[in-house]
Parts: sequence; C-alpha cells; structure tokens
Amino acid sequence: MGTAKARAPPRTPATPTQPVETSRYLPDKTFIIDNGAYMIKAGYASDAPASDESVSACSSIPNALVKTRDNKIVIGAQLATVNDWNEAMFRRPVEKGYVVNWEAEREIWDQSFFDGKPTARNRNYHIADPEDTTLVLTEAPNALPILQRHADEMVMEEWGFGGYARCLGPTLNAWNEIHSLFGDPLSNTSGASILPADCLLVVDSGYSHTTVTPVYKGHALQRGIRRLDLGGKHLTNYLKEIVSMRQYNMLDESYIMNEVKEAVCYVSNDFAGDLEQAWKSGRKRQSGPEEGIVLDYVLPDPNANKKGFIRPHDPLLHAKKKKGAVSGLSAEVLSEDVLVLGNERFAVPELLFTPGDIGMKSAGIPDMILQSLSVLPTGLHSAFLANVLVVGGNALIPGFMERLETELRQIASAECVVRVRRAKDPVHSTWLGGTRLAANREELSKVSITRQEYQEYGSGWAVRRFAGLV
Amino acid sequence: MFRVELVSDTSTATPGWSYAPTRGFDPTQAMAPTLGRKRGIRDAGKGGDISSRQANAIARHIAELDRENQRDVAIPAPVKQAREAGARGTRAKTTSNVRRILQSQKTFRNHLDDEEAAIASSSGGVAGMQGAGGASIVAAKGGRTTAAAVRRSATPASTAGVKRSAAVSGMITGTSTPARETMDVETDGDEEPARKPKLIKSEYDNDPLLRSYAPPVPSDRLMQRLLAEPPLSYNASRAKPLAAGRPGRHFCYSV
Repeated sequence: MGTAKARAPPRTPATPTQPVETSRYLPDKTFIIDNGAYMIKAGYASDAPASDESVSACSSIPNALVKTRDNKIVIGAQLATVNDWNEAMFRRPVEKGYVVNWEAEREIWDQSFFDGKPTARNRNYHIADPEDTTLVLTEAPNALPILQRHADEMVMEEWGFGGYARCLGPTLNAWNEIHSLFGDPLSNTSGASILPADCLLVVDSGYSHTTVTPVYKGHALQRGIRRLDLGGKHLTNYLKEIVSMRQYNMLDESYIMNEVKEAVCYVSNDFAGDLEQAWKSGRKRQSGPEEGIVLDYVLPDPNANKKGFIRPHDPLLHAKKKKGAVSGLSAEVLSEDVLVLGNERFAVPELLFTPGDIGMKSAGIPDMILQSLSVLPTGLHSAFLANVLVVGGNALIPGFMERLETELRQIASAECVVRVRRAKDPVHSTWLGGTRLAANREELSKVSITRQEYQEYGSGWAVRRFAGLV
Repeated sequence: MFRVELVSDTSTATPGWSYAPTRGFDPTQAMAPTLGRKRGIRDAGKGGDISSRQANAIARHIAELDRENQRDVAIPAPVKQAREAGARGTRAKTTSNVRRILQSQKTFRNHLDDEEAAIASSSGGVAGMQGAGGASIVAAKGGRTTAAAVRRSATPASTAGVKRSAAVSGMITGTSTPARETMDVETDGDEEPARKPKLIKSEYDNDPLLRSYAPPVPSDRLMQRLLAEPPLSYNASRAKPLAAGRPGRHFCYSV
C-alpha cells in the first residue's frame, strides 16, 4: 500500500476549471512522458496549447543504458556525449512497448528528470516536486496487468506524483489537430475546449512493435487493436544479419547499422521490379558512379572523427583499391571501409508489409488494418478507412506511406474512401496529443487518479481504475 | 504420459518458471499414431506445410531479430552514492512494492508465460477470446448488407461510384458537430431511420442499380458497449496470418 508520508498539502485549487469535487486535488502542472522503447519523449504541457510549436518543449531522451567499447556505462541523455559507437552494447528497459525492467528505467528517469538542480538546459524536463505534478504516462495497448501494476506502483510510490494518468499511447493522437492534415474543413469550435477526433485509426510503428488502434472519440475500441511484433529494431537486426553474411561482420554494431538503415532503407512500391533492377546494376561493370538502387555507405571512423555517409555506388572502387596508391586514390579513400547496399535497401523494411519473408506467420500492416476493422460494426469502416493516421519512427522510412495507401486501397472495400496520412511529426505526435489532452482539464481529471486516492485505495484499485472498471 | 496438475490461483512466487496446464484433448497428438511416429513428431501442430525443424529455425531467427545485442552482456546500472542524500530526502522511503519490482529480473517472456498460465487456469482460456467471440456478432450484423453493397458496386456504374464515395467522404468530413448531434438525439430512441447516414440527394435515388448506399452508423448504445469492453489479452491482440493462404515467398540470398 501507500507510503506512510503525510498526504499532499490541502491547497485549494484556484483555477475555475477544477473538477466539482473540491476535495480532489489534481496538480495543475502536467508532465507528459511518452515512454518509447527507443526514445523517451517528455516535457511539460504548456499553458497555451494547440500550437505546433509546443513540440519544442518536448525533449527526446534515449531510453537505454549503453556500455561503450571502453567499458564505460552511459545513461539516457548522456548518450549524446559518446563519439565512438563501435561495439556499443545496449540495455533497454522497454520490451515490445512495455516497461519490463524498472531497475534500468528508474536509472534513466532519475538521471533525466529528478537528479540535480533545475538549470537552463534541463528546465524543460526537470521535475523538482513530483507532489505538485500530474504525470501523463503512455503505455502500449494490451499490456499485461502485472506490468501495469508495476508501472503504477513505481510512479506513485517511488516518485510520488501528485496526480497520475496512464493512457494508451495511440489514443492520444486523436487529440491532435488532424482535420487540417486530412484536408477537412476546420470545425468552428475555436473557442470551445479541445476535443478528440471522432474516428481515427492510428497505426503506430515504432522501435519494438507495431500496433493498429481504432480510436473513437479519444477512446480505443479495444477489440479492434491489433499488434505486430516487428519494429525498427527488427529491421536493424535483419539488415545487420544480411550485411554480415554478404560483407563485413557487423553483428556487434547495432548503433552503426541503425544509422545505415536510416540512411539507405526505403519501402519499395514495386518489389519485383526493384529486385530485378538491383540485380542488374550489381552485375554491370560500368566505369564511374551511376544512378541506381545500389549505394555505397562509408562506415564511420571514430579515430579520424569521421561520421558515416552515403555516396553513389562505384563498381570499380574495389579494383582501384587493390591497385593501391598506383590508382591515384588518396590515402583517405584507401583507408575507408565501404558497405555496398543493393536489395538490402528495400528487402529489409519489406518485413513490415510481408512478415512472411522471415517466416513469421502474421499479416502485414495493411492486412492488420482490415483484421482490426473486421471486428467492428460495418458502419464505422468507412469512417476509419478515411482517417488512417500513421505515427512512430517507421513512418519516416521513404515510400512507407505510399505503399500503405496503395495496398490498403487495393484490399479495402471499393465503397470506402481510403486516406492515409503521416502525422506532421510522427515521432512526437503522441506526446503532443498528450499536451492537448492536458489542456482539457475536465477530461484529464476524468482519466487521472490523485495521490490521495492511490494512498487510500492502493495499486490494485489503480489498475482497475485505468481499465475503466471502477 | 501426461501429468496434469491443478494450478492454484495465486501468482507464482518463484521467478523463472510456471505451470503450463495441459488443456485436455489435443487433436494433433491424437492424429500422430496414424501418421507414423516420426512424421507425427515432426509435423505436430505446425500448420502442416513446414516441418517442426523449420518452424523451430524460424522461431529462433525471429527471437534473434528481437535481441538488443548479438552477445549476452550484463550492463549493470551504476551504483549511486548513497542515493544523493539531498535529492532523496524529500522522497518517502522505498516501499516494499518498489523494492520487489526493482529486484525482479523477469523478462517479458517470463511475464507472458505467467499470464498465459493464469488465463488458462482461471477461465479455461476463454478470457482472451471473449472479445473475438463477441466480435463476430457485431460483424454479422452488418455482414449481410456489406456483401450486398459489394455486389451492387460491381455493376458498371462508374458515375455512381464517384458520387457514392463523395457522399461517404462528405459524411465523414462533416466533422464532429453534426455527427455528435445525431448521436445525442437518438440515444434513447434506437429507431433505424435516424441512424441512416445523410447522403446527398440525387435523381438516381430511386434506381435500384444506381442508388447510393452506406451502412447505418452504429447506435450510441452499441458504441458505449464497445468502448466499455475490456482489452484483449496480449496474444489475442496479435495479428493473425493471412486467411487467403497465399504461399510465402522464398529468396535465395546469394552475393
């Protein structure tokens, strides 16, 4: 149960938008944490919401403990100071979207949000007094109840937040201003409080998993949520594996291969055609670089303080290098290591659309959307298909959106309009939605619990409360 | 051969293992003897088209892709110097709950196994499927009408198709306000006409071939019921394989 500490100061709330129960004290300051497997997106909700600039108040903190080559352990935001990423090892507290290891997560949270004094640099994400802060924490759908309970107990007992709301991450996106994104006429409710979109189908494809969530008026239709256990991590590892088999052994270079993936990978809109083209251009022995699918990636060299970069493929580079200095190449070029990337570029992200390529018995994202809709009333299908929003890092892979829209159009009922849009900032979209929820005090207080309530009823009650059972 | 033990409802206190109850009769096991011992072992419950060796290889590959690091490394959290007395001072003492959570070294796999065992023992595996079962009821409600609509759209009336889609998008883009009003109006009276989406009137409305059609918007009561449903279990929410049974592609990875 709760702590033995005296309860929050019985300050009378001054704002008029406070809930009717005067005894219920929910702190006005709201801190939002979108706890991604790769990045934590965190920051305070501003008092003047509803603008896209508020993203600047959001800080992205790597959600990992890293052991570098020289056996130094680096946490969270300190990762920015690492120069040598060779053989860096990662420990991530989040698995498949859920916080599993709170020991590691506490280190990262402590170091990021609680340790030290507020300074100019960390004032956007420093929590000086948790008792006077309401925390909005996102979670991935279909979490195991035991993990939910762990999260609640840590938030309320280890840090003791004054107010707390655990929300499904994808649903927060519905609070964003999405009408302009879909080109719909703006509703004339500028004066009224912020309301979530009516129907929105959120595709969230992140680092550790991908989910499809139908959101109705800001709440998830639970039966329609579908999950695919593939994300950016699997793509990186797959690329790593292929490259290691064909070229250099990169199995220990997760970070570098992640950068390679971000630099070169794209989703093909004509898989067979691209495969053919990559094969042909790999066989041609033309002189000089050419336009095509095949690219060279020059690996980073931490000793020379050089970052990795891409350049057009030069089929003769290898032959020239063999000749050494005679060929007239500079010492710089001779010393660099190059990965040649052909069909890896599109065969890797292809997994999200055809998981069968690695033998996984699961449908790809477009079919997942239909599976999700198939358990919902037919009357809603057209509304959801016309409002598909894609968030998460994988939305940034070139060609992803086109492919999803094309495939969905092909398999969806001909009557329905299919509109697929990428959120303006797919990585921070969920966080931003959280700030807009926080601006609607009435709604926020409906989904939150207070410190006092937690101390009174305990964590079992909190889990039931967030599940909507109490 | 089998040993079935009853599992108590209490969560297991020992980390790292759990009871996985055998749920009675398994058709694949029953089939095995007729197919011969070896094939029965190889093909048991693996969907038929791949051997269990292949299935294991695939499962291992997927598990490998799920790893953070290629090798197993222990990255301990750095020890804090007495938890910085000043920073910690304002906080309450570490509670037993917190201590238990921090000391837990369970992985997601462990938690999931516990969960599965709990679901299987408490409700005979029904809990996870509850949503899926109820789903078919709702789907069936509109199912017949969709089929009809699809058939209708197959007629070569392209103009109607355009008109229809325009109407549908008009209905959706009508933003929140009108939709909300109609919803509110018909909360108590669940009569059909109120829920018919308002389509743009046209001269073809009486023509059975060209008439625009849209399935009725579900009633508010139904939506409330859907919203109140509990979440599916983790495994029930995972995407299913394609029903069509398209054969998988195979590549030969050569350099």
